[in-house]
Amino acid sequence: MSSSDVDLVVETVRDVLTKFEPFVLTAERPWDAGLWSTLAEAGLTGVGLPEQAGGSGGELADAVAVVGALAAGAAAVPVAEQLLVAAPAVLAAGLDLPSPDEPLSIAVDGAVTAEPRDDGDGPGSWTLTGTATDVAWAGVAQHLAVLATSPVGPVLALVDVTGRETTHAANLAGEPRGSLVLQGVTAAGALLSDAQAEQLRARYALARAVQLSAALQQVLTWTVQYAGERQQFGRPLGRFQAIQMELAEMAGEVTAVAALVDAAVQAVERGESLVLAAAAAKVRAGAAVEVVARLAHQVHGAIGFTQEHRLHHLTRRCWSWRDEAGTETAWARVLGAGLLADGPDALWPALTRVL
Amino acid sequence: MGSNSLTLAPAPRSAAAEEVRAEVRAFLAAELAAGSFSTHVDTWLSGVDPAFSRKLGERGWLGMTWPKQYGGHERTAMERYAVTEELLAAGAPVAAHWIADRQSGPNLLRYGTEAQRQEILPLIAAGECYFVIGMSEPDSGSDLASIRTRATRNGDGDWVVNGAKVWTSNAHHSHYAITLVRTAPADPANRHAGLSQLLVDLSLPGITVNPIRILDGGHHFNEVVFTDVVIPGDMLLGEEGAGWHQVTAELAFERSGPERFLSTYPLIAEFARRAAEDRDPAQLATLGRLSARLLALRQLSLRIAGALDRGELPDIPAALVKDVGTTFEADVIDEVRRVVDVPASLDSPDPLGRALAEAQLHAPGYTLRGGTNEILRGIVARGLGLR
Repeated sequence: MSSSDVDLVVETVRDVLTKFEPFVLTAERPWDAGLWSTLAEAGLTGVGLPEQAGGSGGELADAVAVVGALAAGAAAVPVAEQLLVAAPAVLAAGLDLPSPDEPLSIAVDGAVTAEPRDDGDGPGSWTLTGTATDVAWAGVAQHLAVLATSPVGPVLALVDVTGRETTHAANLAGEPRGSLVLQGVTAAGALLSDAQAEQLRARYALARAVQLSAALQQVLTWTVQYAGERQQFGRPLGRFQAIQMELAEMAGEVTAVAALVDAAVQAVERGESLVLAAAAAKVRAGAAVEVVARLAHQVHGAIGFTQEHRLHHLTRRCWSWRDEAGTETAWARVLGAGLLADGPDALWPALTRVL
Repeated sequence: MGSNSLTLAPAPRSAAAEEVRAEVRAFLAAELAAGSFSTHVDTWLSGVDPAFSRKLGERGWLGMTWPKQYGGHERTAMERYAVTEELLAAGAPVAAHWIADRQSGPNLLRYGTEAQRQEILPLIAAGECYFVIGMSEPDSGSDLASIRTRATRNGDGDWVVNGAKVWTSNAHHSHYAITLVRTAPADPANRHAGLSQLLVDLSLPGITVNPIRILDGGHHFNEVVFTDVVIPGDMLLGEEGAGWHQVTAELAFERSGPERFLSTYPLIAEFARRAAEDRDPAQLATLGRLSARLLALRQLSLRIAGALDRGELPDIPAALVKDVGTTFEADVIDEVRRVVDVPASLDSPDPLGRALAEAQLHAPGYTLRGGTNEILRGIVARGLGLR
């Protein structure tokens, strides 16, 4: 996979995005269906998924690039969930992948139990009962990969949720995060090990970290651009040393996040154990949101605090993404405890093993 | 995306680096077990131990990237990174040779005469020759271009130096100072002109070294005063008048290493013992948050090592890493304090209390030395195209 291929993918996504400006999401208009159709027609909703499974081919790096470019564009489509989390999990579990044209999301929260409907290991049929909560793109996604519990261990089940009733809830950016009640729903599913279930949660966290990294970079770019254009006291804001200090602090955060998230993605590509790397990436990206969003709004002034300006499309998302797919604090505890697994005297070797 | 001058390519994986890392780790474990040193914070400036430096030299862990003809080992910056990082994490006493190995040696390699390289570099690589940085002056801190130490040629073609340098860490243990001097009158139109670097033997007559104590009473700072010091003409380093350019290059080495985020790592290690014992969720979360920041800094610093291996001089990314890294070093103290009930004291019966005290009393230096964070952010702002 060469960097020029990745560049081409990013250019293609950006071209598409010029025709789809972000808008304020509401319960009535919770996603950008037109953008999704255009992306699907271009094969971009199958990037990184194998062609024999109906995907568009390419590597994880391509999928990460697509997700990053869409995140930077505040695109209201479930591409991160589909390309980086749900579809790879469905394939790894040996389940049949739905068409990449039909939005597929992931549900890891709530309480859903799975009862086996037939005997034997491997993919089978399960009956799901319970409520999936905090479901990204609930009401939008046609298919849901549900992480359920069963008497014999965690189960990943693939549910067709088209037309199924959802309780609407939204994150700070208006992205759907509702819940679905499943009562005796029959679904294809596969038993996972506890480690595989943990890896799935970690991949979800890493997907949010990828989105955060791209969005924070874009917020920095917008803010530097604004500081160069906005004139006060007869000169651009960016000429004031106080503003330069703030922008430099933002750049430090953005650059640190990118370095860690890139390294975590590369670790996944090498097939290394993911949990602590993903935890670190998620925690670091979340911590950067505090600084970057605060200073971006400070530099933009009052206009950035309105829905008339584009800034909120990304800052509101960042404020939510940092606590989705596992809160920043929860992942910080996972990381802290994980690093102590071999005892405190082995902290340093543990740190150098993570990435 | 607008800030490319700040961004470096991801560091390549290095099996050789992991190999030497394991060797250093085993060596440090044996040294600790033998009681040859005890762990402290900030030991790359405060932990002077020539015997320890010689041991590192014997094992080939100094001058690692330099040519073999000068006593070096022709290894990569990635391997050197692994070695320095292990030494810092252990809080080992590496201050004697640190500056010489980090920046003075590379500076000599780049700008020294053949005779200087042959004479001095093998001694640095052996852990026997130490350097001090002669940049700041009593009236020139961040504004380095305003230095007033003067060097003038005498009739024999030698340099006569008058002036004073401060914050010269471990000058009292060092053999040489690479000293930034004014060799032409200040030109208000070009403040960076007329500066040169001299290689100064600190045993020369006319040089006095006065100690300056830091907050914990420790002595690594000094004032070095030059009174009509006669320095042989061939001790000019690089080109006359090119001092500013040379110093800028030197600072890329000075600002980019793991010592810019690991000075307080021994405090984190001590805190980890508490967190493992208490299993308090807030402490575990704090350990996780600090670790996530540290891991990001490692990636940034590794990228710089990779860039050095490619022959680049990443001065702007180095400024950024140092800003983020030194901010982290100081934040470690505050974050730990919030989740433990341990007063900081050098006399504490609790090792965590002692580590907090050491880290706190050294803390003001983290974000000052090697360029204040305000100066660094100015450099980053330039990278963003704002100046």
